[in-house]
Amino acid sequence: MDATAETTSVERTLSIAASPETVWGFLVDPDKATRWMGTACTFDAQPGGLYRCEVIPGHTARGEFVELDPPHRLVFTWGWENEEGVPPGSSTVEIELTADETGTNLHFLHNLSSAEAAQSHSVGWDHYLPRLEIAAAGRDPGKDPWIAQAPSM
Amino acid sequence: MEAALKAIAEPRRRQILRLVRDDELSAGEIASNFDVTRPAVSQHLNVLKEAGLVSERRNGTRRLYRARPEGLAALKDFLEEFWDVRLAALKREAEKEERKKHGRNS
Repeated sequence: MDATAETTSVERTLSIAASPETVWGFLVDPDKATRWMGTACTFDAQPGGLYRCEVIPGHTARGEFVELDPPHRLVFTWGWENEEGVPPGSSTVEIELTADETGTNLHFLHNLSSAEAAQSHSVGWDHYLPRLEIAAAGRDPGKDPWIAQAPSM
Repeated sequence: MEAALKAIAEPRRRQILRLVRDDELSAGEIASNFDVTRPAVSQHLNVLKEAGLVSERRNGTRRLYRARPEGLAALKDFLEEFWDVRLAALKREAEKEERKKHGRNS
């Protein structure tokens, strides 16, 4: 990465009461991934393989698997298909799993270069402007479907 | 924030924002994209400017407008919220699966 390029990133750590092997399955097995990620996922879980997940109908996340070290480390590129904001390949997700006494410590890092994001922040604008408009009109825009849609059990 | 909400509640102003999202344009250039008068565009630009949604820069006699990069902050907020919800669901589902493997009830 260019040291001068600012990055926008989302970093999270969570503790999961399940083995790294179990958690790994939810990352690379399409049937399990749909239980937390979306409505339909297609994965070719090998370096260079396709990562594609319809998060909600009409909004599909797509990328490429970069690195797989089961059940420890997973890297894939990520972006939105057919949308201006965060195009596929423009950001990278790194997930590290470490076994601990309670199960798994999961470290999540989503990096996107601000250069890309600044050019393509229409995800924010185009998605949120209509919602803000509704709110501004004194009405309830409801739950954000991108965020609040809880994957089915 | 309230000023911003009011500013973008007007569809024309949202169109203007999209127009100056990637390009710095003069009021005249913006007006040429719409079937509205130049004074009306100027008025919209003032509202957007006061709400902090566009910046204004003088270049000789021209004033140029551009969307301020708040969209980037919005994007980060969006992604944080997005992943928080997804990761919470991942935790829930993986733990459920683990309990199933060990034949225990939730």
